[in-house]
Amino acid sequence: MKNILHLIKKDFKRKWKNPVVILGFLLIPVIFTLIFGIVFGSSEEQILPQVSVLVADKDTSFFSQFLLTSLNQGELKKFIKLEVVEEERGRKLLDKGKASALLIIPENFGDDVLEGRGAELTLLKNPAEQFLPQIAEEIVDTSSLLFSALFSVFSDEIILLRDVINKGELTDVDVSSISVQVKNRIEGISKFVFPPVISLKQITISEKEEEKATSLSVQGYILPAMAIMFLLFICNIVFEDILREKEMGTLLRMSVSPMKLSEFIWSKTITSALIGVLCTLVLIAVGRILFSIHWGNIFLVFLIVLCLNIMLAGFISFIYSFIRTERQAGAVLSSIIIVMSMLGGSMIPVENYPLFIQKISKFTLNYWGLRAFHKAIQQDPLQDFIPILLGMLAVGLLFSFVGAYFLRKNLRKGLLR
Amino acid sequence: MLKIEHLSKTFDSIKAVDDISFEVKKGEIFGFLGPNGAGKTTAISMISGLLKPDSGKITIDSMDLESHLKRIKKIMGVVPQDMAFYEELTASENLLFWGRLQGVKRKILEERIQIYLQATGLLGRENDPLKKYSGGMKRRINLIIGLIHQPKLLLLDEPTIGIDVQTRLNIFNLIKEASLQGTTILYTTHNLQEAEELCHRIAIMDQGKILAMGTLEELIQIVGEKDIIIISGKFSVDQGRKISSFFKDATVLSLKEGKIILSLEASKKMPLLLEEFFKHGISIDDVSIKQPNLESVFLKLTGRELRE
Repeated sequence: MKNILHLIKKDFKRKWKNPVVILGFLLIPVIFTLIFGIVFGSSEEQILPQVSVLVADKDTSFFSQFLLTSLNQGELKKFIKLEVVEEERGRKLLDKGKASALLIIPENFGDDVLEGRGAELTLLKNPAEQFLPQIAEEIVDTSSLLFSALFSVFSDEIILLRDVINKGELTDVDVSSISVQVKNRIEGISKFVFPPVISLKQITISEKEEEKATSLSVQGYILPAMAIMFLLFICNIVFEDILREKEMGTLLRMSVSPMKLSEFIWSKTITSALIGVLCTLVLIAVGRILFSIHWGNIFLVFLIVLCLNIMLAGFISFIYSFIRTERQAGAVLSSIIIVMSMLGGSMIPVENYPLFIQKISKFTLNYWGLRAFHKAIQQDPLQDFIPILLGMLAVGLLFSFVGAYFLRKNLRKGLLR
Repeated sequence: MLKIEHLSKTFDSIKAVDDISFEVKKGEIFGFLGPNGAGKTTAISMISGLLKPDSGKITIDSMDLESHLKRIKKIMGVVPQDMAFYEELTASENLLFWGRLQGVKRKILEERIQIYLQATGLLGRENDPLKKYSGGMKRRINLIIGLIHQPKLLLLDEPTIGIDVQTRLNIFNLIKEASLQGTTILYTTHNLQEAEELCHRIAIMDQGKILAMGTLEELIQIVGEKDIIIISGKFSVDQGRKISSFFKDATVLSLKEGKIILSLEASKKMPLLLEEFFKHGISIDDVSIKQPNLESVFLKLTGRELRE
């Protein structure tokens, strides 16, 4: 144990005297968070990209126009960008990936609706996109449902209105006749509709309540996501030292001292975890000061940081048990870290992946680290954390022990060049 | 202090160390002399416990190495060929670290560091990072690291490669001082002068075997009164053999086209030998005569010059 302490002290001194690489890896998550914050805004409201939907209106009736106008109004206009095209051109544009969906309104759509024959809208989705066509589908689906209900209730009045429009002239008698009918219809259904059975209560959160806000800001997502990725790189720097010490001959010299090889390996794992903890705490402080991230319960956050870094150090030690040269380390570790970060949500939120990738994500360290941080920020109840923390700790210790065993074997073999 | 019995090690059918045996007494400086690839470093690696021998026994301070490795490591110091320390740390930090790793208390270490730095002329530079040191200064620190815990046995693997005369003298003084204090030293080198100057006894090693062992005087006895004569010129192996056969007291140590090395009393036989070459119409490019010394012993034993 004494030897481990001497080794850790020595490694800390060495890193302290040459901190540039670690500082660089600390700075990158902060810069990324800053850029994402600028691009996506610092508020906690979700900013969605506009969905580009092409419409091929083969009916061109009053009703199809009514449908299109309603899709292009109010709040919906923020989310949907409609463009009316010929069907053939629409299909071509969709093939080229120029839009997220193509809505085809069939001929006689209006007549079919009014006659109650049942009309069918066709929505072609861009197969290259996962997320945006889904939004388009939801919007069209909901609108169709509302229209169906509207036409069912006011069918007689709408038929009357259509006939008047088709006739081409609107007299005072027509207007009063339609008005009376609509009035009677509304009165008839008013006891079911007013007051509404279901109502939506809108609450604006006050400034004080916002302090306790549990939603996740862009920075609250990005900073921990990037931090975990770059913590893996920082762990890698510490473990790279094993190969460097082998190359420098210091490991050989230590091997003829009373120090055990396993003490040397454990010293690297502990140094890596400790440096990771310090770096994470620095990032948490930076997140609080620069980006106003509310990390939640400090004690809990510290536990997350500790378990996370034990897991990361253990994992890197395990990977190093298969690596023999610095060149191998550079190639293998970078690839593993980047792929794992990509899958685990450090680059793209996991929710945006298809289901099968989401399942794979659960096998990455980034996923669990991120979940823990997000739960802390969202102030989830304590019992939600315990399985994640224990899981991270168990995985970290398992990796550390297996890594130490194989790394010792590997080093013993390659000690004498 | 150190006893080696029938030590052997083979790497892929090549015998790196082939059945060597020797003993080194307390406080003795024992030289391992041989060219690169002779098996010196392999032998040292086995003695330091880094390599497991195929056969043989190593006893250090009356303890069997295999069964008492942990205890032996505490009384052993190793100075490798490469400079093995942390260049970004200062001399003090390095010496403290290596000393603590050997189990020496901090207070004792601090005192020793001052003494060793003073002895090697490095006092005043202890707080400079080693990357700012010259090659010679680094060599001195490399040696102090091996000595800082005052080991009973010190293994030195060519510790003076690429250094100036001043530093060499400094290092030799430190080694001699350690020897006087009772440290047993195993010193590998391929430098004949170093071995002659420093070692109490020398083992000449080549191709994994110890060819001869003893004090400098004992080794020179092997050559006797004869000198080593090296003649280079334009002659064939047959011509060389024929000429040498005229001299019954000559021993051919090495013969190849254009070069013959033989052991002969030069003062009496040299003119006759050269005359024989001229009689055969052979033109001679170079002649050298070596007085009996470690080099001539090596030549006689191996048929090769140490630098070949």
